[in-house]
Amino acid sequence: MAGNFWKSSHYQQWILDKQDIMRERQKDLNNLTEEEYQKLMIFYANLIQAVGEQLKVRQQVIATATIYFKRFYSKNSLKNIDPLLMAPTCIFLASKVEEFGVISNSRLLTACQTVVKNKFGYAYGNQEFPYRISHVLECEFFLLEMLDCCMIVYHPYRPLIQYVQDMGQEEQVLPLAWRIVNDSLRTDACLLYPPFQIALACLHMACVILQKDCKHWFAELNVDLDKILEISQLILKLYDLWKNFDEKKEIQGLLPKMPKPKTQPPPSSRPTSSQAPGSSSDQHGQSQPNSSTQQQQQRA
Amino acid sequence: MQKYEKLEKIGEGTYGTVFKAKNKETQEIVALKRVRLDDDDEGVPSSALREICLLKELKHKNIVRLHDVLHSDRKLTLVFEYCDQDLKKYFDSCNGEIDPDVVKSFMYQLLRGLEFCHSHNVLHRDLKPQNLLINKNGELKLADFGLARAFGIPVRCYSAEVVTLWYRPPDVLFGAKLYTTSIDMWSAGCIFAELANAGRPLFPGNDVDDQLKRIFKLLGTPIEDTWPGITKLPEYRPYPIYQVTTPLVSVVPKLSVKGRDLLQRLLVCNPVLRMSAEESLQHIYFADLNPAIKN
Repeated sequence: MAGNFWKSSHYQQWILDKQDIMRERQKDLNNLTEEEYQKLMIFYANLIQAVGEQLKVRQQVIATATIYFKRFYSKNSLKNIDPLLMAPTCIFLASKVEEFGVISNSRLLTACQTVVKNKFGYAYGNQEFPYRISHVLECEFFLLEMLDCCMIVYHPYRPLIQYVQDMGQEEQVLPLAWRIVNDSLRTDACLLYPPFQIALACLHMACVILQKDCKHWFAELNVDLDKILEISQLILKLYDLWKNFDEKKEIQGLLPKMPKPKTQPPPSSRPTSSQAPGSSSDQHGQSQPNSSTQQQQQRA
Repeated sequence: MQKYEKLEKIGEGTYGTVFKAKNKETQEIVALKRVRLDDDDEGVPSSALREICLLKELKHKNIVRLHDVLHSDRKLTLVFEYCDQDLKKYFDSCNGEIDPDVVKSFMYQLLRGLEFCHSHNVLHRDLKPQNLLINKNGELKLADFGLARAFGIPVRCYSAEVVTLWYRPPDVLFGAKLYTTSIDMWSAGCIFAELANAGRPLFPGNDVDDQLKRIFKLLGTPIEDTWPGITKLPEYRPYPIYQVTTPLVSVVPKLSVKGRDLLQRLLVCNPVLRMSAEESLQHIYFADLNPAIKN
């Protein structure tokens, strides 16, 4: 679906309002500071990236998975489904949607196991990955429902390439701007702004860093420069936070503070009810998949 | 699920059973497509995901509408708008006679649905009469997007094993891996001829070889001159050079001259030269189409 962004579900249902996101997040901010919440989100984005790389999926799959993850928790507390389960589930779903193919159960679990034990051993104290494939499949089901089946996601990469070509600075600017786009996935930008605006913000930042004169080019664009500025600020704030975030030291302190499902995952038994694995019993009270979506539609 | 009362089984789809049902609140008749979730492997099947994904984005009067997706204890049910029959059943019921105006109307609607898909960079890839739904107002809708895919980023090769043989273009039959919207245009051409002949398929081949022979006997065997690159296709084999001996008029005797011209432009072996959906909607054959259908 390279087609019409303005008629897409991404635009019509999933460009969210900052206030709505913050209202939903408030529940988690009883346990965590805003900054700690952001740090956890950075950590889980890194986890998704690591699982994706372990499975050798394309960056597009990782980006889509990260957006599913963020969409889910934009409407749910962290305690509704354990993010450690949600992260690989997002990769599993995104891989199918992006036509990268179905990741086999054993490959997925092995990748999770490797990543959790080796790469993130410092976070999980060398514990095993606690979930089984049945958990992932059930989680996929909840994810699908929460996304309201909107699975086609638009990314800033394609508009970025077009802009850079138009600018005629391809070789110098593109690699850096591309990396900034990747980093922007660790902010709320993808929930708040259309991808072409994110692409422009990242391009602008790259130009400033590389001291490329781009004033003219940007001045001729017919876009809302305030929005571009807002996005740049989000990303700058991320870099600021990231700079002072020693993940290896801090994450072990952060994970226990995270609001948790009342029922912890049974490490060796299959779930018996239809309830989401690792979800609290008040899941259904918490999550109303369509209510805020409908508000969005009305606004649009 | 309590919202719907099941009425009768309609058929078996790509990934599950289809039921006719009634919305108890609104009395609206819908089609329920239950997605089988095989407990172990795939989770939600890719074909179902693809259909949900695409229909979520494609809303058009000539594309079957996905009203809702119901989640209930590990089952997914897709709620579609209900159509009375598919084109295949319609053929069966019309006893070898279809009014030329109906042929024109159906063909126009098929092309308009395709034009919408293609403008959204979606290929259907599996067009056949069974996948075209007809409602009692004479509206035609594209359905069964289980094999459709969004294109745009040239990712991996597209699988060659996707179109039902009879509606498969020669490039795909020769194993072309990177096909484009032209695949659907060939199928549309085959369906056009079948419409004009009230349900007699144009190229009912038994296997790939027979399929290609039937095509080349009617249209002439393509060679490098008429189709540069043909011999480089992965599964290319030389075929006898058939000359065009049967004029199109004897293949589709009931179709008007203008209709035959359109058909001729769709049934072009070289995919690059096949007419696009957008162009075909402008074809003079549709100049006298009932304006009620056009809008």
